Amino acid sequence: MEDSPPGSSSDSNSPSRAESFDRDRHVFFLQMMYQLMPSQYQGQEINRLTLAYFAVSGLHVLRSVDSLHKEEIISWVLSLQAHPKNEALLNDGQFYGFHGSRSSQFQKIDNGVWTANGSHLASTYCALAILKTVGNDLSVTDSESILKSLKHLQQPDGSFMPIHSGAETDLRFVYCAAAISSMLGNWSGMDREMAKEYIINCQSYDGGFGLTPGSESHGGATYCAVASLQLMGYIEDGLLSKSASSCIIDVPLLLDWSLQRQAADGGFQGRPNKPTDTCYAFWVGGVLRILGAYQFIDETALRKFLLTCQSEYGGFSKLPGQLPDLYHSFYGFSAFSLLEEPGLHPIRIELGIADNVAIGL
Amino acid sequence: MNSNSDHKMPLSQRPEWSDVTPVPQDDGPNPVVPIAYTDDFRETMDYFRAIYLADERSPRALRLTAEAIALNAANYTVWQFRRLILESLEADLHEELNFVDVVASSNSKNYQIWHHRRWAAEKLGAEATSRELEFTKKVFSADAKHYHAWSHRQWVLQALGGWEDELAYCQQLLEEDIFNNSAWNQRYFVITRSPLLGGLETMRDSEVSYTAEAITSKPENESPWRYLRGLFKNDMHSMMNDPQVLSLCLTVLKTKNVSYVFALSMLLDLLCHGLQPSEEFKNAAHALTSEAGPPGSDLARTVCSFLEHVDPMRINYWKWRKSTLPAQVV
Repeated sequence: MEDSPPGSSSDSNSPSRAESFDRDRHVFFLQMMYQLMPSQYQGQEINRLTLAYFAVSGLHVLRSVDSLHKEEIISWVLSLQAHPKNEALLNDGQFYGFHGSRSSQFQKIDNGVWTANGSHLASTYCALAILKTVGNDLSVTDSESILKSLKHLQQPDGSFMPIHSGAETDLRFVYCAAAISSMLGNWSGMDREMAKEYIINCQSYDGGFGLTPGSESHGGATYCAVASLQLMGYIEDGLLSKSASSCIIDVPLLLDWSLQRQAADGGFQGRPNKPTDTCYAFWVGGVLRILGAYQFIDETALRKFLLTCQSEYGGFSKLPGQLPDLYHSFYGFSAFSLLEEPGLHPIRIELGIADNVAIGL
Repeated sequence: MNSNSDHKMPLSQRPEWSDVTPVPQDDGPNPVVPIAYTDDFRETMDYFRAIYLADERSPRALRLTAEAIALNAANYTVWQFRRLILESLEADLHEELNFVDVVASSNSKNYQIWHHRRWAAEKLGAEATSRELEFTKKVFSADAKHYHAWSHRQWVLQALGGWEDELAYCQQLLEEDIFNNSAWNQRYFVITRSPLLGGLETMRDSEVSYTAEAITSKPENESPWRYLRGLFKNDMHSMMNDPQVLSLCLTVLKTKNVSYVFALSMLLDLLCHGLQPSEEFKNAAHALTSEAGPPGSDLARTVCSFLEHVDPMRINYWKWRKSTLPAQVV
């Protein structure tokens, strides 16, 4: 295998010729994004907290979060929390969590009071994850309001709606609720048994999980299902050696389905007969790690695939040779952490944040 | 790139908006991940904030939400407010679905659009059934695996009906692309949930035949193998005793130059559940695997060894399967 001579210009037809994980360039990419996101991201304004989570948590995984102003981050995140005017309102059916950005948070012009509660489950998860990542123990948040109002979002079938004013309900929000409860160390905000039943109903005939009962099994949905069960305490360690009857989900079928998601090019796909994509190295790889089966994948082939999605500008793209985006970058870094790339923080898979952050060190 | 030519004129220059003061976004000091908004995005959202705070539910407010959606289709606050306006104005929801059709053409991978469709369809009830089924078909003609559209279609069938042609539609999609996993999933959805069919067990034999044909034509296709297994969900006993299943595996294993991974994997699962294979089976498997393993070793171990050979990406998994074979397996 020949190396290009130092100083030679890179081949313009293959933007990512790196043979190794280019940590410094990724840090640079995230710092640029953190400072200012290009206008193409304005369509994601409503979820700015999620973008912030990708940037902050991404820098933490890359061991570069100390370059950020933590107090500024904390105060911005806290400014997005919805607060009930009084305690009685906690029973008014609304969810009092975090907004994704000012665009769902409206300030009455005259008196400066925030009106209208558009807080969202996913934003709440991201807010707590960011706060933990920058070293906050969450005592600064109004966790009582979150926990007391969380149950208003749980549906009769066990699933969760993300906002009280009405939206789709599916496994993504079961995951958010479980992760929020786990981070706050308090399960009073959700009925775990009901949530578990919903998750079980989402396991498809092929072993993977769909976003809703009956829908096609999908890598992202499968992560939400398995991570939620793990967080809620329904999956024990050493799962693979347990007999089939002792588990609430069909583990052997799930295992076989998940492993088969690694395709010929070494990357992971989200569904059978679909193209491979960077992010599934985290979603499906994460499932396998939780099951204790990560050693069954072909790590060399995966790494090789991921490097074809590594951009010369830093970050990762969805597919080989494309431009990077923040979402695929974060999951690319997380996937490399799963691969135990030297110099990266290990991740607590089921929470999507670095391990030392999860346990509060 | 802003491809929307409707609002070339800034709102501040439009006479109909002259009485409204736009409300800027107050991000606070040191906002994290600030976005470089384009001018029309910023302005549109500033005017939206104004009408939202004033709770103005007028026709012009409705038009403004359309402009905001064109720039920012993911903003659920805008969609939510639009719904309030539609209710206040008692708007024609068929017209609204037309509007969503247009938005969806450039934003189809967006949860808010699909939720909005569902909201409108729910209000319209049975009137909306065929329209919604047609709409999802149109989406599938461009992307037959569109996840949101499939979820929506499943919701329509369960909430509003229209099951009559669904199995035939799955068949058509599979004729176009036998590898379409979404179509296989939908097929399973239909045979297990359609009130017009007899349920899984009633449909099983004919479905096994259908699937066997798909498998023999493309043994490397994962989808029908999973589907076949699904037909015997929670009933491995029936699967082991189904002559169609066994003869299918045998057929594949005897075919030259095809992928054996799924056939072998299925055989392995059946053996682990207690299958007593016929001599014909054992001979076919051994003939195939003689290159990979010593003759005379038990069948399950031989199958595992051969899987390590034909599916090297998962070699560690097949090794583990070999090491954890139940004691009494053949």
